[in-house]
Parts: sequence; C-alpha cells; structure tokens
Amino acid sequence: MLGLIKKDFLMIKGNLKVWLILLFIYIFMAFQGEMNLTFLLPFMCVVTMLSTFSYDSFNKWDAYAITLPDGRKNSVKAKYISTLLLVFVTIVIISILTIAIGYNRSKTINFRDIGETIFGAVFATTLLQSIMYPVIYKYGVDKARIVIFTGAFGLAIIGSLLSKYVKVEYLIQKLTFLNDYMAIILPIIIVIMIYVSYKISSIIYKKKEY
Amino acid sequence: MEIIISNSSGVPIYEQIKEQIKVKIISNELKTGELLPSIRTLAKDLRCSVITTKNAYEELVNEGYVETIPSKGFYVAKINLNVAREEQLNKIENLLDMAVNIAKTNNITKNTITEILNILYEEEK
Amino acid sequence: MENILEVKNLSKKYKDFELKNVGFKLPKGMIMGFIGENGAGKTTTIKSILNIIGNYKGEIKIFNFDNKKDENMIKEDIGVVLDDIFFPEILLPRDINTIMKDIYKNWDSDLYFKYLTDFNLPKNKQIKTFSKGMRKKLEIATALAHHPKLLILDEPTSGLDPIARNEVIDIFQDFIQNDECSILLSSHITTDLEHIADYITFINNGEIILSKTRDELIEKYGIAKCTESEFKKVDPKDFVKYKKTKYEYELLVENKKDFNKKYNIDTIDKITLEDLMVLMVKGEK
Repeated sequence: MLGLIKKDFLMIKGNLKVWLILLFIYIFMAFQGEMNLTFLLPFMCVVTMLSTFSYDSFNKWDAYAITLPDGRKNSVKAKYISTLLLVFVTIVIISILTIAIGYNRSKTINFRDIGETIFGAVFATTLLQSIMYPVIYKYGVDKARIVIFTGAFGLAIIGSLLSKYVKVEYLIQKLTFLNDYMAIILPIIIVIMIYVSYKISSIIYKKKEY
Repeated sequence: MEIIISNSSGVPIYEQIKEQIKVKIISNELKTGELLPSIRTLAKDLRCSVITTKNAYEELVNEGYVETIPSKGFYVAKINLNVAREEQLNKIENLLDMAVNIAKTNNITKNTITEILNILYEEEK
Repeated sequence: MENILEVKNLSKKYKDFELKNVGFKLPKGMIMGFIGENGAGKTTTIKSILNIIGNYKGEIKIFNFDNKKDENMIKEDIGVVLDDIFFPEILLPRDINTIMKDIYKNWDSDLYFKYLTDFNLPKNKQIKTFSKGMRKKLEIATALAHHPKLLILDEPTSGLDPIARNEVIDIFQDFIQNDECSILLSSHITTDLEHIADYITFINNGEIILSKTRDELIEKYGIAKCTESEFKKVDPKDFVKYKKTKYEYELLVENKKDFNKKYNIDTIDKITLEDLMVLMVKGEK
C-alpha cells in the first residue's frame, strides 16, 4: 500500500516543474491582489491527480497493479489516500500563503475568513473528485474529462434555470440557520462523499477487465 | 569439457550430447568417478532445453556409462572397456555391412574395398 | 513431477473471439514456450492466469493454490512482463525500486540495480525517454528482482535486437538453474524458444492444439516431401496436415522414423517451430 501511495507522489514529483511554475504565477498574481489563492486548491489537486490518472492509463498501470501482491485490493485505496494527502499538503501551503498575503495587505489576520474560504475550497475539491474518480475508473480519463465538463455545464444550466423559477434568496434565508453548524456538517458530508465514492470506485475496479 | 552441438544436423541434440560424452568416457578423457556438470548447467552452457540434457544423461545411465547419485549429481561410471569396445566394434560391423551390401549390388570386388580401407587408414594418420 | 502451473478447461467468450477449454501443465524447473499467431489467445490466457481478466470458466492453479482464492500470496512469487503494461512512464527506474521495496516482501534492491547496470540502463532518466528495447529490459529487471518462482512473460523479446535477445535468454536460463523455478514465455519469435524451451504449447484460434516437450516435437516431427503419386498412397492417419506447393506435397508427420520406414520416403526435413506453426495453421487435412 505504502508503495502505491509513494508511486503517486513520485509521479507528481515528475511533474514538479510545471507545478512550481504555476504556483509562482499564482503567488505573484495573488500578491498583486488580482486573485484569491484558495482557487489554487481545487485547481492544483484536481489537475495533478487527473494527470496521474492519465499517466496510469497510458501505460495500463491498473492492469500491472493487479499482478502485484495486494495490488487489486489496494490500488484504488491508495489513489484515494494519495488524493487526501495531496489535499492536506495543499491546504497547508495555501494557508501559509494566504496568511502571509493577508498580513502583507492589511497587517491583520482574519482567521475565521481564511478558515471559511479554505473549508469551502476543500468541499469543492472533494466533491469534484468524489464524482470524478468513479467516472474515471468506469470510463477512463479521456471520457471522464468529457463527462465531467458536460456534467459541470449541465449543472450550471440547471442552476440558472432553477434560479429563474425558485426564489433563491428566500431559500438562502431559510438555510442561514445552518451556517452555525457548518463547521460540523461540512466535514461529515465530505467524509461520507469520499467514502461512498471510494466504495463505488472499488466495485468498478474489481469488475473491470483489461 | 567440450561438446559441440549442431542444430542443423539431423541428429537429435540429446543424441549428440550422449555420443560425445560417451566418446570422452571411452577415451578416458572423462575419468571414472568424475562429476559431470549438472543437467541445468549443461543446458545453459549448450543453450538447449533441460529435458534434452536430462534425456542424454538418462540414456547414458541406462547404457551404464554414467551413474547417478540422487540429489548429488551424475558421475562417470566404472565402465568395462571390453563391453565398450564390443559396442564400438558392433557399430563398425554394421557400417561395413552397409558398405559391403552396396559393393555387392554394384559388382565391386572385395579387393577394391580393402584398397579403399587401406587408403582411408593411411589418410587418418 | 510437481506442477508449478496448471490450467484446466479455461474458457472465455468475447464478441468476436473465444478461448475454448484451454489446458496445460508447467512442471517445476521448466521453461514452457507458448506460441501461436497474433490474436490466437496467448495474451488472453496469460491475463486469465494472472487474474487481470476475471469472469472466465475453468480452474487455474499456481504453486498448487487457486489463483483467485490465494491471489495475494501467489503474487509474491510471480514476476511478470506483459506487452504494453507497466509503470507510468513519467517515473524513473530508481522510483520503481522505491515503490517495489514496499510492495514485495522479497524485493532485492541490490539485484535490481545490478540488472540495471548489466543492461546498461540509466537509473535517473524518465522511462519515456527509453527505447523499446530498453523498456523491455527494465520490465525484465523489475520482474526478476523479487526472486520469483514463476515468471510469466508475454512477448518479452519483442523489440529487442538479436544481441539483447541473447542476453535475455541467458538470464532466463540462469533463472531456472534453481530447479524450483519455472517460466511461461509467450512469443511469436519461435527461434528464441526452439532451443531453450522444455515444453512447447501451441494455441490456435483460442484452442490448444499441441502441448509437448521440445524433444518430442523438434526431434520426432518432420516434414516429408513427396510427389503427388506418393502422396495418394499415404494413409491420412499418418500425417497431421499437408500443404501442396507448386512442385511437391509437404506433409507434417508425427514421427519421422516411422513414416520413413512405412512409406520409404527419404526426404523428411527436420522441423522448426516456424514450419510447425505455418503447417498447423495453414495446412490442410
């Protein structure tokens, strides 16, 4: 298992240059006040993990993994753990940077604000990944990309249609009471989402033929 | 130990191996009690299959040229040189028999054949 | 003799292809050459043995254990080279060592790096910069470095030049110096197998049509060449297949000597695996 997780990180390391260049561009823009750094989190995590999936599928790694001891059992698990580790590492990097930038701008640090935006970003990232991974395991990276983009597009359309007919402001008002519990509800939702996604991916992987 | 294998000759490889080892034993190049290379080493060195060398050794054991000590290996057996000589003489007889047959069907005289034989013997020297 | 691998009644249906009751046995300490045309079912069989393809009918035993029930234990002792299936090419050979150390109990880093040196492979270059031959060698080094007892190799010599092929075959023969170890080796380059394989298993159109020792095949089988009038006298039971060329009839016969005795046909050529394959597939009966 540890080996499989190391594999994902060694692959990320293989792309480290691209990663660092992007990071520096973002940091530069953020310091100029052009950009909110929390956007980086979903971006970096999703894109990076997606590229590991691409490399895997290019060399049919999933089939090779089955030939290794415990490969069948652990290869999906390892992918989810790698993802969570990457999210964690990115949270740390971004928190530090955001605090630094915030302090640079206003000489004060609003921990609550930072906490909330990062929480939101983590939610967005894990939501996206939880949906993506089973699709990738089922249909492959290339098709999954299409599915995900059309899915996101479809959601946007549905959202905009809904907002026409449903009184969104009313809904939000009704839901504001949830705000106080967000700190508890969100993590629970995140955990459930990831778990369900992991289970679905495992079942798909088990049945898959190469 | 030198063994030369030809892949293009019609003689099966295990037979080539067997015959060459036999010659070495009869000529005392391989001495009684000497350990032969293992089936696997020989297969690797000759680049042939393990079953091939195994067949060769098994036939040598059957013919009494080689002894096997389980889980130790194959050793050159103490051979009765007379028996070995007898066998070689048999072979010569068979070959000469063929030659004589050809001679008879083609009206070639015994004298001519002895002449050929003499010449061949001279050449050998 | 104990078998290291046993395949029984393996069947698997696809839309346009089918494995039909594939079965063979590979004894300990032996190399089995698995031959057949492209698309004959070699890779499907190998993938079933490794359980990469599930959902087949039949029974597969490795080291006398069921390949599904005892999968994880079995796989500790198997090394594989599969066509086009490997580590992501963004990784370096050094990375493979880092990863495999944690995967196989018996992973031997020294041995792995020794193979890399022997094969002249760089440790710190991305696999994607490797030529096809280098890649194959890396796959072989990876397959060998955990001291497996069974090597399953799908086309391990394809893409290698003759010199590299020789090196690799030496390594395979070294591998079976330990008489506990066996190799199942598929190839359509039959010359590689002609000398070193102990058993030859021939698959055609999803069916095993031959599984014999090398000596039984190469030393006994032959190609008898005769005229039409001679051919008409031959009992169809006495040949496996025949092919008519412009000038002669070529008959694949199971036993050169017997055939020669019975019919007095003297031109009987020694067979190569290539001849065998061609006659088996293209010959008529």
